Amino acid sequence: MANNFLKISRLDQFLETLRLFGELHAPTVSESGVHRFSPLEDPDELHLDYRRTQIPPKKYLFPFREEILHYGGGGYREGHSSAGDLVIFGVHSCDLEGIAYLDRVFLADRPDPGYAARRSRLTLVGIACEPDDFCFCTAATESASCDLFLSAGQDGYHITSYSARGSALLSAADHLLEERAAQPSPAISGPCYPAQDPELRFSDHPLWQKFASTCVSCGACSVCCPTCYCFDVREYPTLSGGGTRIREWDNCLFATHGEVAGANFRPDRLDRLRYRFLHKYCGFTPLQGMSSCVGCGRCKEFCPVDIDLRELTVAPEKVEP
Amino acid sequence: MRPMKVAITGLTACSGCQLTLLNCEDELPELLGLCELVYFPLAESGNVLDAQFDAAIVEGAVSTPKDLELLFSLRNAARVLVAYGTCALFGGVAAMNNTISCRRDLLQTVFGDAVQLPESFAPAPLANYVSVDAAVTGCPPEKQEIMELVAALAAGTLPPARCYPVCTECRSRENLCLLLEKRELCLGPVVQGGCNARCPATGIVCEGCRGPVREANVAQELELLLERGFGREEVERRMSRFKPGWNYGQRR
Repeated sequence: MANNFLKISRLDQFLETLRLFGELHAPTVSESGVHRFSPLEDPDELHLDYRRTQIPPKKYLFPFREEILHYGGGGYREGHSSAGDLVIFGVHSCDLEGIAYLDRVFLADRPDPGYAARRSRLTLVGIACEPDDFCFCTAATESASCDLFLSAGQDGYHITSYSARGSALLSAADHLLEERAAQPSPAISGPCYPAQDPELRFSDHPLWQKFASTCVSCGACSVCCPTCYCFDVREYPTLSGGGTRIREWDNCLFATHGEVAGANFRPDRLDRLRYRFLHKYCGFTPLQGMSSCVGCGRCKEFCPVDIDLRELTVAPEKVEP
Repeated sequence: MRPMKVAITGLTACSGCQLTLLNCEDELPELLGLCELVYFPLAESGNVLDAQFDAAIVEGAVSTPKDLELLFSLRNAARVLVAYGTCALFGGVAAMNNTISCRRDLLQTVFGDAVQLPESFAPAPLANYVSVDAAVTGCPPEKQEIMELVAALAAGTLPPARCYPVCTECRSRENLCLLLEKRELCLGPVVQGGCNARCPATGIVCEGCRGPVREANVAQELELLLERGFGREEVERRMSRFKPGWNYGQRR
């Protein structure tokens, strides 16, 4: 039996070992009090008891804005992916499942070169958590979509490796680990919210109208969602005569999302909400029939008007006359 | 390629937008390679108004007969007229009292009981008087956005618009939400982004200097602020700081 238990007293040394595999990032709190993943300079900055970061770790694979192409003088060059080796420590299973979903989108068929480059240099170390009021999951889960997963045990963590890189990490940290009888693992997680019937998006549920009237289209639900990957591509000429093509997160609740020359596929906010419901809970080809909600609860926590699209799947209460 | 003949000027405004352009020191040499600044009184690069322009970049609101005269002559002489900055687009700070004050009272506050008060009327956006072909919003505008516009004009096109509210960039930068977490009077949800959430990133609420985002849900923003205990008058006062006459019933 291999050494698989890390005592909490050796966590700092374990983190130092992780640094051998790339720049170490982990959950911290910003000056203004926002939970986020950031470079971990000092182990004291680590906030492992966090509930959820405002922005999921998708930012490392698919940045909010990136220059993907420069052209000029009759030629072009692709933007830099600027990927170094990166280790993200302390990711919850929902966010790991979010990355697994993005992998299906960006690495299948024709892989996205920027995403693929960054993904290949990313090491993910997951950690167990307890759901709070915003989480859509009801019990602690463990995700296999990572290199290592740490589940909490008495005075430390049971570590499971899920990849060759994970095994290499364990070997490098072997002197810090000890042998303990493995505890029964919690359920392996997946998409947290079951796929829904696409016809539900045309239901006459009164909440549709309510949400369409209160949604401020701020974009928070999508910006903060670990599986929202819609992007916009725009080109800006530069003074030197060429131009730059950028890719930026888009949002299905913006007027421009469904806009084409001369018309808009989804002219009203109601159409856009129905579309969001379809994409999030029913999936698109080739991911049709697959829910992409991993249950992190960010949309519910960060929506300024408390919209929770899942309420649309529950029949409205009949009002007795 | 022949450099574009350009006019850059201001109407009723503080010249801040034109200064923003002049402050693009790193880009100015390249900019001058693309543009012949035929009329740019603020920079004293030229003062020939009797010419045809490829583009006229106009800052400020229209509030005097002289403003109007200059605007008409530029409109007639320019292929592309650019409303440059919040005043040119929405009226801006000069227009904040348009709906609550009488022009004559305002003039008397400034000029006292002079026998003859200068001729002026309620400051208004350029589009109230002439057709406008392109716009750069902001008080002042982002340097990047005015440079993008000039580069695009030189390439014979216009830059693609950014159509998201301040919140989108604000959340993406992992800022603390001042509206929800600190219950402050932040206008982020209804205001045009593109500033990279400059103010909220330093802990200052969005004051709305870039004007309304497309299809702003103004009624819901008002409701959100009222729920948080702000008075209707205070909210309207803040919202009209950079643009008078919001439609407070608008939900789309």
